[in-house]
Amino acid sequence: MLSIKKYSEIFKTALNVGDDKVNENLKYNEIDEWDSIGHMTLMAALEEEYKITLKTDDIVDFSSFKKGIEILKKYNIK
Amino acid sequence: MNKNKIFNKANFKIWSRLGMRATFGVAALELSNNVDKLMILTGDVSTSAGLDRFKKKFPDKYLDVGIAEQNLIGIGAGLASEGFNVITTTFAPFQTMRCCEQIKVNLGYMKQKICMVGLASGLALGTLGYTHCCIEDVGILRSIPNLSIVAPADSAETVKAVMASIEYNNSVYIRLTGDASINQVYEDDYDFKIGKSITLKNGKDISIFASGTMVKVALDCSRILSQNNIDAEIVNMHTIKPIDIQKVNESAKSSKLIVSIEEHNVIGGLRSGIAECLADIKGSPRFIFFGINDTYSKGGEYNYLKEQFGLTASVISKKIMLKLKEN
Amino acid sequence: MVEQSEIIKIKQLSKKMRENILTMSLAAGVSSSHFGGSLSTVELLATLYNNVLKFDIANPLWDDRDRFILSKGHACLGYYSVLCEKGFFAKEDLNLFEKNGSFLLGHPVINKKKGIEFSNGSLGMGLALGIGVAIAAKKNKKNYRVFVLIGDGECNEGSIWEAAMSAAHFKLKNVTAILDNNNLQQTGSNDDIMSTKDLANKWRSFNWDVQEINGHNIPEILAALNHVSEKPKLILAKTIKGKGFSFSENNNNWHHNIMTKKQYDEAIKELNEQK
Repeated sequence: MLSIKKYSEIFKTALNVGDDKVNENLKYNEIDEWDSIGHMTLMAALEEEYKITLKTDDIVDFSSFKKGIEILKKYNIK
Repeated sequence: MNKNKIFNKANFKIWSRLGMRATFGVAALELSNNVDKLMILTGDVSTSAGLDRFKKKFPDKYLDVGIAEQNLIGIGAGLASEGFNVITTTFAPFQTMRCCEQIKVNLGYMKQKICMVGLASGLALGTLGYTHCCIEDVGILRSIPNLSIVAPADSAETVKAVMASIEYNNSVYIRLTGDASINQVYEDDYDFKIGKSITLKNGKDISIFASGTMVKVALDCSRILSQNNIDAEIVNMHTIKPIDIQKVNESAKSSKLIVSIEEHNVIGGLRSGIAECLADIKGSPRFIFFGINDTYSKGGEYNYLKEQFGLTASVISKKIMLKLKEN
Repeated sequence: MVEQSEIIKIKQLSKKMRENILTMSLAAGVSSSHFGGSLSTVELLATLYNNVLKFDIANPLWDDRDRFILSKGHACLGYYSVLCEKGFFAKEDLNLFEKNGSFLLGHPVINKKKGIEFSNGSLGMGLALGIGVAIAAKKNKKNYRVFVLIGDGECNEGSIWEAAMSAAHFKLKNVTAILDNNNLQQTGSNDDIMSTKDLANKWRSFNWDVQEINGHNIPEILAALNHVSEKPKLILAKTIKGKGFSFSENNNNWHHNIMTKKQYDEAIKELNEQK
């Protein structure tokens, strides 16, 4: 089961932003920090934390905080 | 300069996911913290060069001259003459050939120092046709004095190369190859010096010299070859000019066969550089080379094109084994 | 109004420059020299260096100096002549023109200590260098001006227009280009080889402030060089290739030719007879 708290923390650390910017409505390119570089940093951080390897299609589809949760359901996250 | 801070395992992994071009953008941001009077010039390619973040954050260090490569080098040289640390970038064919004479006169002849970064060299943009591929850049630039040529093996090496070139005393051309899913060669920090090749794996039977994305291919070859009891030395010849003559000499002494692999025309690039060294060695070993065989093929996807030219570990390994069987 | 004494000084400098040009042409011997295209620049360079260009002979690398770039590099005889007269190097050095290992070749070779800012000669490259130097001035918060002398044949080169476009785009009011419009290029007239018809309007359409002058009229040259504008400036100077000697004026054989001793003697005589 995905812990939303942990998931949010990963966002904050990877994108180097505070609580004010990370919420369930956050979308890719909506904030400066979540540009293409921020995106790959985020993907790498998620992979590291959850010990998974994301498929390229999933990386491309990962367009928002909410969408990310959907995508991660496919992976075996403890 | 806090160089060591950014060269860590985590960043190496992230950068490999970004690909060389976006990683160049990361390097640019890092440079802006440490390099005096930095100016990055592009020819209308900010996004393609991973420079959007840099452009936003440091607009006074960024200059877009539009689709005018001759002007790019001229303006860059003018800035360099007034003490600026200049980096120029656009797609490899335009960066090196549209303004080739400006490179000769300004960088070669007048020694105005510029670090030129050629984006998407080799076959990465094969679906766009050969106007956007570049299989000639190393060959053409090799004949211009006072200009060094570096082809980084992966994204981490791209950052190293850019930083090294800022401190280097001559102009440097950095040739970026591969696409976004660039294979990672380096996982941990290591020493990088322009002109000094890196032996990634020792081997007593043969020596494989590779540059750019072909370094990963060479490493893959070594695994296949060792399964066939051939112990291959793998050398990342990231600097094609000045080539590491000492290393070529050393390898020529002990290896049965020298191999070169490059994502470039077999005329003028790494193969030629190594052949020039070998020609000077008495009783040098046989030499087998891989690259693009002086042709403009039909276009296609990157992997498809690499297969067409036999630039894959399985094909190269087979040919090496056949060559070794020859008398 | 320009002081008459100033005009006389510049005329005298021009005369000395023509003498130096003859010296170098003779020194070049069978190598030939770009006689005609250098002579058309004499008054332009004399006026610039005598009254307008800021420099310090004791400190040729002075950070605040104005920069002059001879993009029309083959007109170096005029350039070397004025540099010599202004003290950047000794008169005797003119005899080294095109000699083995010399610092004075048939096209300028970068040597800032001797007043030569860049190596030019491959036409079409100097204006872009000037743009870079002008941008550097703005970034370094310096007030020096950048002058670039270009040729009309040189305007065949696309790189000139790339540079022209960018000067206006980057709002470089510290750039002045001087166009030596003698209407001739290497093997014929501009109209015959590649028509650059209506250069004035071409440059105006690139958003430069264009002034059309007689390139041998010193008051006109001075006024043009001192004209203030918010745009990059182009001085379109109507000149005569080979100006100053009866045998060379508008004679394209003198684009690049051998100066014999006999010819030299006749030319010196003609020069001395001029006021």
